[in-house]
Amino acid sequence: MGAVELEWNDRVMLTPGNHDVDLIRRVAAGDGEALNALYAAYGQRLYAYALRLTGDPATAEDVVQESLVAAWQGAPRFRGTGRVLTWLLGIVHHKALNALRGALPLPEAPDEEADLPAETPAPDEVTAQREQRQWLRVGLAQLSPEHRAVLELIFYQGLSLKEAAEVCGCPVGTIKSRLNYAKTHLRGILSREGFAVEVIG
Amino acid sequence: MNEHEQLVEWLPLYVTGRLNAADRQAVEHHLATCADCRAEVALWRAVATEIVAADQALSAPPDLAARALARLPTRAHRPARLRQALALLQAQAPLLRRELWPATALVFVLGYCVARMAGATQFIQAFAPLVAAASFSIIYGPEHDAAAELTLATPTSPWQILLARLTLVFGYDLLLALAASFGLMPLLPPAGLGALILSWLGPMAFLSALALVLSLWIGTENAITLTYGAWLVRWLATATPTPLSPLVSLTSLAGFFRLYERFWETPLLLLALAGLLLALALWLAGRMERSLPRWV
Repeated sequence: MGAVELEWNDRVMLTPGNHDVDLIRRVAAGDGEALNALYAAYGQRLYAYALRLTGDPATAEDVVQESLVAAWQGAPRFRGTGRVLTWLLGIVHHKALNALRGALPLPEAPDEEADLPAETPAPDEVTAQREQRQWLRVGLAQLSPEHRAVLELIFYQGLSLKEAAEVCGCPVGTIKSRLNYAKTHLRGILSREGFAVEVIG
Repeated sequence: MNEHEQLVEWLPLYVTGRLNAADRQAVEHHLATCADCRAEVALWRAVATEIVAADQALSAPPDLAARALARLPTRAHRPARLRQALALLQAQAPLLRRELWPATALVFVLGYCVARMAGATQFIQAFAPLVAAASFSIIYGPEHDAAAELTLATPTSPWQILLARLTLVFGYDLLLALAASFGLMPLLPPAGLGALILSWLGPMAFLSALALVLSLWIGTENAITLTYGAWLVRWLATATPTPLSPLVSLTSLAGFFRLYERFWETPLLLLALAGLLLALALWLAGRMERSLPRWV
């Protein structure tokens, strides 16, 4: 799994602070090109985060678009105390939760669960891995948006606990307890389905 | 917290490579002996692989920034400053607590009726500042702002918003108090209108500004209690010339009350103090934004 670690390191390196802060300053001054550049740099991450929280591509697009509008309007007040990524994710987080509050409940995850085979007849290792991933996906979908948000921030966006807390607007302790809850939930599903997680490590 | 509990918290960051070298070594050392933690790392790795794979398979629509820009008015076409200020006033009016408007008006009407029936014009002088102070203590802060989170996300700075609300509420209170004073004209001696207005204007400005600062600082209930207390003591002073307790020396207490009453009868001093308090409130509003959670 060394390859995965390297990837995170690359992505962490990918944010040279000063350049970003310059972009925000240009956005604050009304430079549309700077907003495009910001989106080119972070669009993928913002969209992935919005989609992880809302679970719906159309809603995620709306959320990102609204977040960019908010970033444009809020840029003059960007204080530059944290990373630009954290600031942008904080806006997306807020907008996504707002969108969820106003939206109809999403189709329940158990539908997906029904499609999976109930019994797994002695699978070879590759099949086992694929099925484990499917169950993980089910488990992730069953978590609340707040819990999915924390997993996304730590594992895809590569944030520290403190940065994740900033994005969610909650104490670091809450991030820890959400991670803990998510872990228990996912482990519960996997062990119920007869996977020993060590196999994949 | 023992070593295991501490390290368990670090495992997600160990998986994503966000630990510093020393912490990472501590985790690796612990993993060698702890099967539970090894299983946990395996679980987090599986979660990470799933999340990263799913997210990397996505492609964000390339035109979202362009679509966002299309929705924005360019900064060059911003409304002129005056129009912007009017727009701000208009936008803030519905954000204030709705019961504020009818409640204030109702109290003024009641006060006016009592003053008329009792034939006592100083009544208006006693309650106008109280009403204004109460309304000022609820115009700003997360506990009163249904849209506090939005307020913080807008490009308008908090002190501009507070100033807009002040203008609205003070203007409203002022109009009501003026209307009540004009209504009492038949009861007044000739040329007594100016004196009556001055008698409530100073205390009203000072008490409202005080209530606002206190509400930003120690909350609405405390702000109302303190300002009402300060104001009622002034009337207590006029009502009870005898000392409250035989232990308190008569001369010093009476002297204090006389001074206290004089304070409330000096409109210029009161207005100047109100100005200072308002400046303080605007400064506090600017600072408060920093101490509030940003998006909650």
